[in-house]
Amino acid sequence: MKAAKSLAAILAILLVIAIISSAAWFLKIQLYNPKTPLSGFLVLVGLLAAGYYFMSEARAGATFPVRRIPAFDAIEEAVARSVEMGRPVHMTFGYGTISSSMAPQYIAGLGVLSHVARMCGKYGAKLIATLGVPEAIATTEEIVREGYYSAGRPELFDPAYNVRYFTDQQFAYASAVQATLIRENVGANIVVGPFYAESLIFMEAGNMVNAFQIAGTARETQVPFFVLVADYSFIGEEIFAAGALASGDKETLASIRGQDIGKLLVIVLTVIGIIMLLGGFKLADYLNWVWKVG
Amino acid sequence: MSLVIRKYIPQLIVSVIIVLSVTFYYIYINDSIAKGFSTADKALSDWAVIVTSFALIVGGVDILRFHLTKIRREGIRQAPFSTVTIALLIIMVVLATIGWYYSYADPKAGITITTQPQFRWLYSNLYAPADSAMYSILVFYIASASYRAFRVRNPPALLLLVTAVIVMLGNTTIGGLIWPGFLGLRDWIMTVPNTAAFRPITIGAGLGTIILGLRLLTWREISWMGRRD
Repeated sequence: MKAAKSLAAILAILLVIAIISSAAWFLKIQLYNPKTPLSGFLVLVGLLAAGYYFMSEARAGATFPVRRIPAFDAIEEAVARSVEMGRPVHMTFGYGTISSSMAPQYIAGLGVLSHVARMCGKYGAKLIATLGVPEAIATTEEIVREGYYSAGRPELFDPAYNVRYFTDQQFAYASAVQATLIRENVGANIVVGPFYAESLIFMEAGNMVNAFQIAGTARETQVPFFVLVADYSFIGEEIFAAGALASGDKETLASIRGQDIGKLLVIVLTVIGIIMLLGGFKLADYLNWVWKVG
Repeated sequence: MSLVIRKYIPQLIVSVIIVLSVTFYYIYINDSIAKGFSTADKALSDWAVIVTSFALIVGGVDILRFHLTKIRREGIRQAPFSTVTIALLIIMVVLATIGWYYSYADPKAGITITTQPQFRWLYSNLYAPADSAMYSILVFYIASASYRAFRVRNPPALLLLVTAVIVMLGNTTIGGLIWPGFLGLRDWIMTVPNTAAFRPITIGAGLGTIILGLRLLTWREISWMGRRD
């Protein structure tokens, strides 16, 4: 019943958008940005609606199968292995700032950190979270504290040991992280978030100390490095799904279905695009249509 | 009250900013409204930069705390390294402050934070070479990572090795001398299979970002706030 109400609400919102858009078109009002293809807005609204629908279904009691991400499942193994070896766990979430386009990956990295911290609390592992962005210091401290406290191990929380901000300069940060990995002889090296040229430095330093390595980024130029060197890797959008998996909340997990609907849409559009191309038409010409009145 | 400040207000700010950002990007109506949206959008970005700039002060304090604790715990073994870090941190802040003072006291002298002579000397002769050295280490790491990656353990690894050899030969002059076709083959690999592999990652990241935005908008994504209560 609740899900039906949510569906009705979503359809009502979409109907209102359609009515306003139609009215603007007939009244010759330039409602949408003439420099931005309208298809982007439609995909955004469609995905938000789909994601919200699945979330409301989950709230009403529905359960959805969520595919497992091997890299996410390996985090527990990495932490447990580190404890067995008596070595600390290292986690860093990259060099992207909250005020840049890398902010979503930064938030995804915090989600994974939250899971790593709870695992460290559960197994009594020492966690070292290194940072290259000062705005994350307070949040990181809170997340690590939460991880240890929620597991009933507050004595393991030591902010001066667990959270280390080095600098906001890229290669100075990279050299400090590299030194930390080697000097502290870490047992697991988990790097998830936005990474630039420093990605391989982290991976190779982890390899030098035979650390169990889990890495992930949505920056496509760094993905190959992680795939080649890490034991497990999150590829692209998997880092966003990891945050939802870490929460364990079924409503949050259901939102991943929206992401999958988006992928399905992309596959369908790709097939349609290929068929249209065979017929001498370009789908991109239609998708790039902009709202221009008059 | 604590819960309101710690949880609801930050979530509300995030939700409002997401809605505003989407509105500023897609809605137009007329030139003056679009211009207003553009100004407001820039103001939002500027606020983010200002807030993060203040975080640098927290960062400086955190570096001091970390190194002072290290000296206290590890004693003489750690002291030389941490002392150099703290000393340089203080020296750079003092020199930058002098430059900042002169930029107001004597604007005609043309001295600012970054052009203060000692600050610039330290940056150009100490920081920049160290930074470049660190960057150049990457080449050795790429070589060692490639060595491990290109070991032929299974058919996909063989394919990877062959592709890598073609791309490497296509990027070197000797490749062209061996066979001129390497250049064209390299271009085809980079523009067709390579781009085809990159595109889904980019599209997937976009889709993931939209759904992450939805979770932020509906207050389901809370990991960025630290505590879960």
